[in-house]
Amino acid sequence: MVVLRAGLCPGLTEEMIQLLRASGIRTVVDFVSSDLEDIAQKCSLSYKALVAVRRVLLAQFSAFPTNGADLYEELKSSTAILPTGSPSLDQLLDSGLYTGEVTELMGAPGSGKTQVCLGIAASVSLGLKQHVLFLDSTGGFTASRLYQMLQAQAEDKEEQLEALQRIQVVRVFNIYEMLSALQELRDRLSQQVMSSVGPLKIVVIDSVSAVIYPLLGGKQSEGLAIMMQLARELKTLAREFSLAVVVTNQVTRDSSTSSLKPALGRSWSFVPSTRVLLESKEATWEKATTQRIASLAKSSRQPTGIQVEVDIGNSHVQELSPATPTQGF
Amino acid sequence: QEDSVSLLPLSPAVYALNKTNFYKARRLPFSRKIGISKEEALEALQVVRQECHGDATRTAGGSGTTRKCTALELLEEEQAQGFIITFCSALDNILGGGVQLTKITEICGAPGVGKTQLCMQLAVDVQIPECFGGVAGEAVFIDTEGSFMVDRVVEIATACVQHCQLIAETHQEEDNLKALETFSLESILSHIYYFRCRDYIELLAQVYLLPDFLSEHSKVRLVVVDGIAFPFRHDFEDLSLRTRLLNGLAQQLIIIANDHKSAVILTNQMTTRIGQSQSTLVPALGESWGHAATVRLIFHWDNSQRYTHLGSGG
Repeated sequence: MVVLRAGLCPGLTEEMIQLLRASGIRTVVDFVSSDLEDIAQKCSLSYKALVAVRRVLLAQFSAFPTNGADLYEELKSSTAILPTGSPSLDQLLDSGLYTGEVTELMGAPGSGKTQVCLGIAASVSLGLKQHVLFLDSTGGFTASRLYQMLQAQAEDKEEQLEALQRIQVVRVFNIYEMLSALQELRDRLSQQVMSSVGPLKIVVIDSVSAVIYPLLGGKQSEGLAIMMQLARELKTLAREFSLAVVVTNQVTRDSSTSSLKPALGRSWSFVPSTRVLLESKEATWEKATTQRIASLAKSSRQPTGIQVEVDIGNSHVQELSPATPTQGF
Repeated sequence: QEDSVSLLPLSPAVYALNKTNFYKARRLPFSRKIGISKEEALEALQVVRQECHGDATRTAGGSGTTRKCTALELLEEEQAQGFIITFCSALDNILGGGVQLTKITEICGAPGVGKTQLCMQLAVDVQIPECFGGVAGEAVFIDTEGSFMVDRVVEIATACVQHCQLIAETHQEEDNLKALETFSLESILSHIYYFRCRDYIELLAQVYLLPDFLSEHSKVRLVVVDGIAFPFRHDFEDLSLRTRLLNGLAQQLIIIANDHKSAVILTNQMTTRIGQSQSTLVPALGESWGHAATVRLIFHWDNSQRYTHLGSGG
């Protein structure tokens, strides 16, 4: 909802605004949906001028239909697929992380979400030489672990340090900080300031549930509203600037069936286009394992329920295990 | 700039302002007809003004409150940071050198396995002078179960001082001997700040007020909450409220750990999860709590020997 102000479009002067406001028209929507003849009479403004302003406002603010073929061409030229650093995970995601979409990683504590995020950051920064924005809300970002991963992938120390410099880490510990960090990113990208951001193609957020959980539930419903605002912000960023957005989410235990389900509820489940559940294999206390099982819980491209094994210890090649499809979410 | 007012942390009553279409953050007039009290309106104005000033410093190139840096800078920071050693080499090894600063470490275990002992040990170890490999910090100990025993801390502190004295004698260096003058039993005990919280409200209040305390005592490098589960486990009917409070608590602790460069240690109890064929011991407070800690240590007994493994992190 945009407020009318002088200079919003040619022909919209300050006195016009004052007169309009006096008759209760404040926003663009009010203006465009009202009867212009009526206004012309009430505010004693020229009907022609009002029509001209309305035309310009409509052109500026309304959405125009495009046809599917054009959309497809646009998508083909602007979408990139980013490797996650783990070939088995790439196969699960139908070659990797698609820009323009939100991908979600969920899992219980210790299932390896942060490790996979670090792996993705390492792979994009080192392999594609592109910038990564990492929003850390849990304090779990460990630069030394990231460095280990880079060392395993590249021999040259210069390369490793350059890769580290391309990853920008922002620590946001509550929802407002996260929203303002995302807004700052949006401002920078829309002004196309290349120097600080560089060719940014991916934003990793670890985790969204940590900042949203304290707001949900209870008598106030603002929590849900803010969560949806975050959802809208992420989807717009992904689509407008062709970014791949990766978020991590917790899981909660369903009391009736005692199975794991993703946190943040049904409203959030519409936000990511792809959802991957990370689980650890049955490990006893004697043997520590870096093996995890990733299953596809939601996807618009692959059948849900397929599983692969992911090794979060080192980003090495893992075989795709043809597992039996389990129940999707 | 059309920063929507709804992005700012204002109380719900103030959102009534949205209805009258006050969108531009800079021009927020305070109006009594909306039905909020004068105090709330003044508070709202302050928040907005702060935000606008924050914007100004940010655009002027100041770092403001955004904690932004590249991974390379973080790596350098991490490598320069010390650890708080536990004096048990096996434990230090599994932790990667000791308890990390700026992270939350959770210690889980059955009763009697030694969680409070470890916390007391760490409250002493954090004070070890830098020349002996310590971080020379002070400690905050928040006790919810009342299991803090001063006489045991005296024993631990005395042993620690003796250990450092031995090192100084064998190496005979100037700084070692000088540091020992200030590193005594009295100074150790006087730099452990003890808080006793009897229920969850006191605990929440204490944690939310801690940043003010820490800004006055900037040498604190360790915050221990002994018994995070205890106040939340019994008599809590509203489980969603519990989840909300715990998550808010976790975020607050993360902020404290990060902004004050301190290690935060939490101890947690164990509970039984009854599965289909067997039951297992798992850390209490449910699935949603597990994400608070960066490093989770789970202690258990096996034939009168204590074992520990990493639940997550590291």
